[in-house]
Amino acid sequence: MDTTMNPATQLYCTTHPAMGTEYSLYLYAGSHQEADSIARSVFQEVDRIDGLLSNYQPSSELSRINRDAFQHAVTTDPETFRFLETCMAWSERSHGAFDISVGKLMRVWKFFGASGALPSPEEIARAREDVGWEKIRLDTAQRTVRFLSAGIELDPGGIGKGYAVDRAVRILRAKQVPAALLSAGSSTIYALGAPPQEAGWKVRVPSVLLDGATASTVVLRDTSLSTANLSEKNFVHDGHFYGAIMDPRTLQPVEGTLQATVISPSATDSDALSNALFVTGPEGRAQLLETRQHDRALIIRRKQSAQQHPIAAEYEAIRWPADVARESATELSSAREE
Amino acid sequence: MNRRSLLQGLSFSMLAAKLSSASPFYGQAEPQPKTSRSISANDRIQIGFIGPGSRGQELIRQLLRTPGVEIAAQCDIYEPRFAEVDELVGKKVPAHKDYRELLQRKDLDAIFIATPPVFHAKYAIAAMKSGRPVYCEKTIGFTPEDCNNVVDATRRTGQIFQVGHQMRYASWIVESVNRVRKGDIGEPTHVYGYWHRSDNWRREVPNPSLEHLMNWRLYRESSGGLLEELGSHHIDIANWVFGERPQTILGTSSIAVYHDGRTVGDNVQAVFGYSKGRRMFFSSLTDNGLMADQVWIYGTEGSLQITLEDATLYKQTSKRITEASHSDVVQKGVETGASYNANSEMPYRGPGYRLHPKPGEDATRTACGSFVDCVRNKQQPFANVDVGFGSGIACSIGRQALYEGHMEKIPELRA
Repeated sequence: MDTTMNPATQLYCTTHPAMGTEYSLYLYAGSHQEADSIARSVFQEVDRIDGLLSNYQPSSELSRINRDAFQHAVTTDPETFRFLETCMAWSERSHGAFDISVGKLMRVWKFFGASGALPSPEEIARAREDVGWEKIRLDTAQRTVRFLSAGIELDPGGIGKGYAVDRAVRILRAKQVPAALLSAGSSTIYALGAPPQEAGWKVRVPSVLLDGATASTVVLRDTSLSTANLSEKNFVHDGHFYGAIMDPRTLQPVEGTLQATVISPSATDSDALSNALFVTGPEGRAQLLETRQHDRALIIRRKQSAQQHPIAAEYEAIRWPADVARESATELSSAREE
Repeated sequence: MNRRSLLQGLSFSMLAAKLSSASPFYGQAEPQPKTSRSISANDRIQIGFIGPGSRGQELIRQLLRTPGVEIAAQCDIYEPRFAEVDELVGKKVPAHKDYRELLQRKDLDAIFIATPPVFHAKYAIAAMKSGRPVYCEKTIGFTPEDCNNVVDATRRTGQIFQVGHQMRYASWIVESVNRVRKGDIGEPTHVYGYWHRSDNWRREVPNPSLEHLMNWRLYRESSGGLLEELGSHHIDIANWVFGERPQTILGTSSIAVYHDGRTVGDNVQAVFGYSKGRRMFFSSLTDNGLMADQVWIYGTEGSLQITLEDATLYKQTSKRITEASHSDVVQKGVETGASYNANSEMPYRGPGYRLHPKPGEDATRTACGSFVDCVRNKQQPFANVDVGFGSGIACSIGRQALYEGHMEKIPELRA
C-alpha cells in the first residue's frame, strides 16, 4: 500500500443525502483515493448522528426517548445526554426562544414531513400541553431523560445539523485535512482552514428579498456559520405568509424576522443561536448576544412600517465581520414595489 | 521485542501463532476459580468488554442506554481503542491488554466479546469458566470444533450465553416469524437473503503494518468473509423459520471488483439445504447496493419481506374457479386475438401488508437490554448457545464450501 502522501493541493467535492437535506463537502487532498476515503468517514459520522437524532427514524435514540420518556425515565448514552444538556442550556439562555420540544407543534402546523397548513385553534390549544422545554427533566447522576407531559416530542431541527457538522469536522481534523468546507444543505457551514493562498472560505449570505442577490460575503476560517430563514418550508393562507420556524412561546410561526445568520466557532452553537435569534425579539437578541462575545450575527427583519406586500427589510449587524449591502437591498425592495 | 514492533509486518495468522507463545493475550485459557459476585436487584451490572472495535463500540453505546449498567473494564490489543471507549463512556474505563487479567477481576458481572471471530470461542469459554455470563458476537466459533466447544462449555458451566443475533430481538422480525408459523404464507419453503452493498469493506489503516489487524475481515485466516459477517444473520433467520439447522451447503465466491490483496471474496452466493427439500439462499455483493439488506421468506401461499426497519407481507392472488352465471359469454361469444400476456411472469408491483407490531426500536439495544435482564434474573436468553451453534456451524463449514466450490455436509452437534 502506498504510504507516501501527496501534498493536499487538489480540491475535491462530493455530496451525501442525510437529515432530509444534502450535505456537501469540499476538501483539499493529495489524491482522489485519499479524498474518497476521508469523505466516507465524514459522511459515516453524519449518518451516525442522523441515526442518533433523527425524529424520522423509529430506531433512533431520539425516537426511543420520544416514545418512552413520559412512561419512565429513559437511560441514554453520554453523547445523547450531553446533546440534550446543550439543548436545555440554549433554551434557558434564550428564555425558551430555542426549544427542541416543538415536535408536536411542527405536527400541528403540518410542517413534519410536509410543507405546512393552518391548524384549528383547538389543535393549537391542545399543543400547549405538549410543548415546553421546562417539561423535560434531565438527571445527570442517573443519565436519564424524563418528560413531565405525555405529548412532549423532541425535534432536533434547530440544532441537529450543527451538531452533526461539529462531529464531522472532528473527523476532518483527526485526519489532518488542511482545508475543507462542510455544508449541511447550506443552513450550517463549517470552514476548516483556508484554500491555498486564500485568507479563508468565502460564504455568501443571500438577500432575502431577491433571488440571487447577496447581502454580505464573509471569509471564514476555522469557524462555522448558520442561517435560519423560511425558504425551506412555508405556506400562504389568506394572503398571510407562514414559515416553518415556530415561536415555542406563542405556538405560532415567527412573524417579522426574515433571516438570521450567525458566525460562531461551534456549529452546534451557530445553528441553535441562529434559530434563537430568529425567534426572539430585539431585546432578547441583545441579551443573548451580550453574553456571547465571540459570536457574530446578521439579522434581516421585515420593516415595521411596511406590513403589506411588497416587503422592505431592515438589517441588524452585530459584530458582523463584513460589509452588508443594505442599500442595494433597499433598492431591490423598492424596485419590487414599483 | 515490544508489542508495537511485533505487530508490524506480520500476517494475522503469524501474529496469532507468534503471540500465543509471547503474549498472555493469546495464551491458553486456563480454568478459573468462580470469581463473580452475587447480584442483588438494585446492583448495577458491571460489564467487562473484550474487543471494543467498531462493532464493540456500538454494543457499548447500546449498553449505555440500558438502565443499571456500568462499563467497568475493557480489553484490546490495539491500544488506541482505550481512549475511544473512554470518550464513549464519558469516563476512564480500566483497560487491560490481557484478557485473563480482565477475567481475574472480582467486580465484573458479565463479559461482552466483540473480537474478530477467530477468538470468540477461546474468550467465551474462558469467560464462562471464570463464572460470568457471556454476550458473544456472532459467529460463536471460527471452526466446527470451536462451535462445539462453546456449546460444551455452556453446558458444563451452566452459564448464561447470548449470541449477537440481534435480529431475534427486532419486534417486526419476531412478528414476521410468528406470522409464518401461523401459516400466513402457507408452508415456508425458501428463505432468500440479500445483503448487497456498494462499499469496498475496507477499513482505513493508520499504518500499513496494521493492515491485517484492522482489516481482519478481508483475510481468510481471520475471517469467514461475507457469509460469516453478514450471511450468518440471515442463516439464523432461516434456522428460526424452518425450526432446524441446515444439513448441506453449496456455494461460490470470487473477487470481481476489489483486487486489492484481500483473500476473501467480494461476492458470495450460497445455498443451504434443509429437510423436506427446503432451501436458504444467501447472496452478497459489495459493488452494487440496490438490493441492500433484505430477507424474503417464500411460502406456498405468500411471501414476507424483512428489512432492517420493517416487514411486509404479500399474499398470492388466489386463482379459484368462479361461477359464470352472470357472464354473457354464451350470448355474445368470446373475442379472438394475440395470445401473449406477460403479466403472469412480471414481478408483482402492487402493495403489500406492512406489519406494524410497534415502532421499531434498535434491535441491538433490545438485545443488549434483554441480556442484562437475563443476567439479573438468571435466565437463558432467546438467542442462546443453540442459536449461536446453528449459524456458527453453517458458516464454519460454509467457508470451506465457498473456497472449494463443492457441496459440504453440515454436521450435527457433537455428542
